[in-house]
Amino acid sequence: MADGDIPRTKKPLNRDPNRLGNSSIFPPHVIDDIHIKSELGRYRMRGFSLFKKIPHWDDLTFLPGTLTRFVIEGYREKCETKTVIGPRAKRPIELDIPVYVTGMSFGALSYEAKTALARGATMAGTATCSGEGGMIPDERRYSTKWFYQCIQSRYGFNPHHLVLADACEFFIGQGCKVGLGGHLMGQKVTDQVAEMRSLPAGIDQRSPARHPDWLGPDDLALKIQEIREATDWQIPIQLKLGAARVYDDVRMAVKCDPDSIYIDGMEGGTGAGPHLATEDTGVPGMAAIRQARRAIDDLGKRGEISLVYAGGIRNGADVAKAIALGADAIALGHSVMMALNCNKDIPEADYESEMGVEPGYCYHCHTGRCPVGVATQDPKLRARLNPDEAAERVYNFLHTLTIEAQLFARACGKTNIHSLEPEDLAALTMEASAMAAVPLAGTNMTVGVDDYHHL
Amino acid sequence: MAGVNAQSRGDGQEQRARDMGMTTEALSGRTQQVFFEPSEEERFTYPWAPEVDYNKRTEIDADGLTTTEVNKRLRDLMAEGYGTVVIQNPRGKHGLGVGILSRLNLIFEGSLGYFGVGLIDGPNVRITGRVGWSCAENMMAGTVVIEKNAGSTFGAAIRGGDLVCRGSVGSRTGIDMKGGTIIVGGDTGALSGFMMQRGRMVVCGNAGKNLGDSMYDGTIYVGGEIRSLGVDAVEAELTDLDKAWLTRKLRQYGLLPEQGVDHFTKVVAGKQLWNYDNLEPNEKKLIL
Repeated sequence: MADGDIPRTKKPLNRDPNRLGNSSIFPPHVIDDIHIKSELGRYRMRGFSLFKKIPHWDDLTFLPGTLTRFVIEGYREKCETKTVIGPRAKRPIELDIPVYVTGMSFGALSYEAKTALARGATMAGTATCSGEGGMIPDERRYSTKWFYQCIQSRYGFNPHHLVLADACEFFIGQGCKVGLGGHLMGQKVTDQVAEMRSLPAGIDQRSPARHPDWLGPDDLALKIQEIREATDWQIPIQLKLGAARVYDDVRMAVKCDPDSIYIDGMEGGTGAGPHLATEDTGVPGMAAIRQARRAIDDLGKRGEISLVYAGGIRNGADVAKAIALGADAIALGHSVMMALNCNKDIPEADYESEMGVEPGYCYHCHTGRCPVGVATQDPKLRARLNPDEAAERVYNFLHTLTIEAQLFARACGKTNIHSLEPEDLAALTMEASAMAAVPLAGTNMTVGVDDYHHL
Repeated sequence: MAGVNAQSRGDGQEQRARDMGMTTEALSGRTQQVFFEPSEEERFTYPWAPEVDYNKRTEIDADGLTTTEVNKRLRDLMAEGYGTVVIQNPRGKHGLGVGILSRLNLIFEGSLGYFGVGLIDGPNVRITGRVGWSCAENMMAGTVVIEKNAGSTFGAAIRGGDLVCRGSVGSRTGIDMKGGTIIVGGDTGALSGFMMQRGRMVVCGNAGKNLGDSMYDGTIYVGGEIRSLGVDAVEAELTDLDKAWLTRKLRQYGLLPEQGVDHFTKVVAGKQLWNYDNLEPNEKKLIL
C-alpha cells in the first residue's frame, strides 16, 4: 500500500455525503412524540407556553423622538405610570404601575409562591389575582389589590370571599389553550387542594370549559348583574377572554357591560395543558390587542372599559409595545414565576436527575415536582423557595419592568406611559406589520392597510 | 350587598377580614368556613351578620322597583332587624335576593327571573311562582323551596343547603354541584348532574338524557325513568341507608311518593374518568 501518497492530515467530512437530507416535517422530536403517544394512548401534557415560533414582540421596534419629536429626559423627568382598571366602578382598581400579577391557582402554585407573589406585588403597588382554586386567606391578606376569579369550574367559589375582593374577574378563556378548561394533574391534587375544590384527592382534574350558569353573552350580562348586586355595585368586573375571534368576541364582551376586558394572547402560559392545545390555539398578542382596542373604540367605550393584556410579556419593551398598541394594563404570569425562581439553577435543585432536563429547559410544571418549589405541593420541594427572598425578587422584577417601559415612553416623548401609541412603533417583518397594523420599518407600507391613518 | 351591613364596607372590611380569621387561621383545606359548635345553640349565624328576628315581619312591593332597589331595601330591612320579609310582585326580575349571607325568612309571592337568590348563605327562601335559569347558584347553606317549575342550570355549582323545586326543572340541573341537596318533585332535563362533584340530587319524576355525565362523585336518585346515563355514570344498589335518608328528606318537604322510595334508582360515578389510564415516566405520582 502506497501510504506515503495520501496526506494523513486531511479532515474527514462531518456529514455523510451519501445521505439525501433531513425531513423538516418529521424531525426527530416529532418522531419521538409519535412513538411516545402510540405507547401512551392520549395527548401529552406539559406546562410552560408555546414552543413554536410566532410573530411576537421582538418583531416590533420603537421609533423614538429625534428631531421630529421632542424626547423626555430619560432617567430624571417624570413619566406617570399610574394605571386605573375599571374607571367607571365606584371603587376602581388603581395601580401604581401598569403591570400586575395574573391569576394562577393555589394548587398549580405552592402556598409559598402564591404569598410571595402577593407580597411582591403589594410592595410594587400593584394587584394579584386568586386564580382557579379559591382564595387562600394569606394571599388576600398580603395583597392590597386583589382580583377574585369566577371561573368555569367554580372551585372554592365562596360569596364570603367575593365580598372581600377588590375586583371580580370572569375567566372565559385562556390564551394558552383557548376553549379548554383548566388542568391539574393528580400529583398536585393533594388532600388540601382537593378539599378546597370539593374534589376527590389525587384525581387528574380537568375543569369544565363552560360556565355552569350561563351559556352566551345574554346570560353573561345577567350573571354580571348578579355579581354586581352581590358586591353592592362597588367593584369592577373584568372579563378574561382567550384571543380567538378577538374583534367579535370583544364587541360581545362590551355589550355585557363589564368594567374591564382582559385579552390573553396565545403566548400565554399554563401550569398544565395538552401540548398541542398550547401550540395550536389562539392568536398572537400584537394582533389581539389591536383588534380588541378597535372593538372597544368602535363601540365608543374607550376610557370607560379598560383593556388588559397578558401573554408572552418578558421585559419592559414588551410592556411598552403592548401599551402602545392599545392595552391599558398588562398582566404577568409566566415571567413573574421566573422571578420567583422558575428554571433557575439553585444549589438545592438537581435538574438533570430530578426532571431530566437542564435548567432553562424545564417545562414540567404539570408533574408537581418543580425543582425550585414554585409549581408544586410537595413540602420538601416547597422548602426550596424562601418566600421572603422571592417576594423581594418579584418586587424587583415588577419595578424593573416599569422603569424599562418608562425608558421607551420617555424616548418617544411621553410624560405618561399610557400616551404611547401605535404611531410610535414600526414592524420588522411583514407578518408583524399585518398583525399589529403598524408600518414596516423604513416604509410607508402597512400590510393589509391602504391608508395607515384610516384603519 | 344583601346580608352585609354598612360597617362591612370600606374600613369595616379589614375588621371583617380579621373576624373571618384572616390573620389567625392556619392554612387548611376548609378555608375560612365557620363551623358552628353544637354547644353554641344561640349563635347559628356569622358574627357580622345583622341581628334579625323571625317574628318581625314586613313586606316589600317590588312593583316599579329595580332589582338593585329591591335588594337594597331588603338589606336595609335586615339591618333594622326584620327577620321575615315578603316580596310581592317580583315579576320575573333577574338577580333578586342574591348574596344574602345571614339567616332570613324570605318569601317571594310570584316568580323570579334568572339568577334568583344566587350566592346565598343561610336564608330560608320560599318562592310561590316559577324561577328562571340558575336559581340559587353557588348557594352555601339554607333552604330554597320553589312551588312551581324552575328553569335550566337549577342549583348550578351549589355547595350546601337544600334546594327544592316542587315542579319540573330544565336541563343541566345541579351542574358542577359541590355539595348540599337538590330535590325535584317533577322531571329534570338533559345533562342533569353534569360534572357533579359532591352532594345529593333527588328527582322524583323522570330524568332526561345523559344523566350524571362526567360526574366526579356524589349521588343521584331518580324515581321515574332515566332516558340515558351519561359518560361514567353508573347505577348502584339502593341501600337501606339511602332509603332512610330519602324518606326523611322527601317527607320533610312533603314530596314523599305514595308508594315509598323503593322504586328509586341510584346513580353514582363510575370513577373511570378520575385519572389518565397511562402516565409518562416523569408524571409518576411521588407525593400524596
